[in-house]
Amino acid sequence: MSRNTAQWLAKPKLPPTHYADPAIYSDPALFDEEKAKIFRKVWWLACHESELPNPGDFRTYHHPGDAELVMVRGDDMKVRTFFNICPHRGNLLVYTPSGSVKNFVCIFHQWAFNVRGDCVDIPREKPGYQERVCKADLGLKEVRTEVGFGGFVWVNLDDNAPSLRSEIGAALDYMLPELEAEPLQTFWYYQARLKTNFKLIHDTNSEFYHDYLHVYNRITGMLKPDSGYFQRKYTPFPNGHASVGSMVVSYDSYKSTGRSELGWPHLPPQGWKLVDLFPCITINLRTSVLRIDTYIPIAPNDVILEFRALGLKSDTPEIRRQREKDAAVIWSPFGRNLHEDLLASSGQGIAMAKGSQPMYVLQAREEDATIHDEVGMRHYLAEWSRRMGRSSADPYATERVGARAA
Amino acid sequence: MTVNRTEVEELVYETCLKLDEKDWKGFLDLCDEKFNYRVSAYAPEIRNDMTWLDRDRAEVEEFIGMLPKHNTDPNPLTRHAQVWKVKMAGDRADVVSSLQVYRTALNGGATELFAVGKYYDTVALDGGRPRLLARHVKLDTRDLGWGTHLPL
Repeated sequence: MSRNTAQWLAKPKLPPTHYADPAIYSDPALFDEEKAKIFRKVWWLACHESELPNPGDFRTYHHPGDAELVMVRGDDMKVRTFFNICPHRGNLLVYTPSGSVKNFVCIFHQWAFNVRGDCVDIPREKPGYQERVCKADLGLKEVRTEVGFGGFVWVNLDDNAPSLRSEIGAALDYMLPELEAEPLQTFWYYQARLKTNFKLIHDTNSEFYHDYLHVYNRITGMLKPDSGYFQRKYTPFPNGHASVGSMVVSYDSYKSTGRSELGWPHLPPQGWKLVDLFPCITINLRTSVLRIDTYIPIAPNDVILEFRALGLKSDTPEIRRQREKDAAVIWSPFGRNLHEDLLASSGQGIAMAKGSQPMYVLQAREEDATIHDEVGMRHYLAEWSRRMGRSSADPYATERVGARAA
Repeated sequence: MTVNRTEVEELVYETCLKLDEKDWKGFLDLCDEKFNYRVSAYAPEIRNDMTWLDRDRAEVEEFIGMLPKHNTDPNPLTRHAQVWKVKMAGDRADVVSSLQVYRTALNGGATELFAVGKYYDTVALDGGRPRLLARHVKLDTRDLGWGTHLPL
């Protein structure tokens, strides 16, 4: 039976943990609050160390907390991160997403900074500034940086945030043997900018009930009783992270996969492990390829998705070609699954845009934390609610209480 | 019978028409039995070439055959190629064409640019008619939004 407006907008008769107010996906004020309370507080995966292998190599990163950053490997091989801004007049220091420098030299007035962030040259310093301004006081702004969990470069804008290890806790322990078996290397990096909310696209990694979207996953897993598909379990960890248990993927069941027998050190043959990190990082090891999703929220309905594929640094050209081919089957912009995930998430962004009168979003499936249980989304939104000081099912309750008190 | 440059150019344009029409059989009829299809892009972020598709003819046929079972963007693509170079030598021709791909929304009909790049085609000239032996689509565009399942 179809519903009238009142019925459509009524809260579901479920515990508030089992549905979300759609405003959390579209309200600009809540998005600004997410920036302050989440994006500027957590550790973000900014790149992989293989993207800056030599002293002077750099990568840029648009931080979700609205900061332009540059990660650079120092002459001491340490990776440091700085605001990508010249402290003189606020110009970008580097304009390209990667490169190699001895010093960063601002194009505007040729101020120069070494790869440790020290200001090393100010043209005509003494005639202009005399003793009033000193190079030693004009270094770059450094950002907390840690390299770990498989050689990834993590950054945090909050000087007082807990350590990376403390924030991740044991969530990645399940994948550490695979992540740290040997040095990794990024072989794909690309972006996709979508008109949707970052939490909606992250959901596609937090719940697998949506495998009904993917014929590939149905054929190679869901419809295979021996695959262990329905036995995969979510394991929630503190701080909103979760892992998804492995299974045996039957790649041969899908025509034109072109997949090989190639695997990954320590991962069982045809295995698949996945870890979601709050607020929008996914580490996804599927048999022969490690895929990393990192999302950069720009606005409530605007997100830049970053996709990386990694292999082993020791790969021969033949093995690397096969890893690329394996990745391409489902994960390239032409891949079987990724296109479907992005279509669905974009559809949610369109249908639930602000002012569209969307209904409450359900995450109510309970199946003993197995693969079609929506516990991953519930766990995620519980952490979101904790950090925001708002219930994801009723985000404006605080204002209502305040209004009544006034 | 000798294949001339005009026939080679028309082959490139004909492949675009067949792909635009989603006439997969018609497209494959223009391809050699040893056809290979590849899509790649260079990522300045990691200073590396990325191969996003690499398929032989059998894999392309199976890939196309599975399309109806997938959820694919229904908005049609239009390919515009302009042949720049044709180098004919013996029974082969190497052809370079610029490529623009547009996407037109079924709802409302607005057209937007989807991708730009180049076709690097190898054309077989023997047998009396030109056939596409290999197509390498080198994309300049890397952000393809929600992407596509369709060959460009």
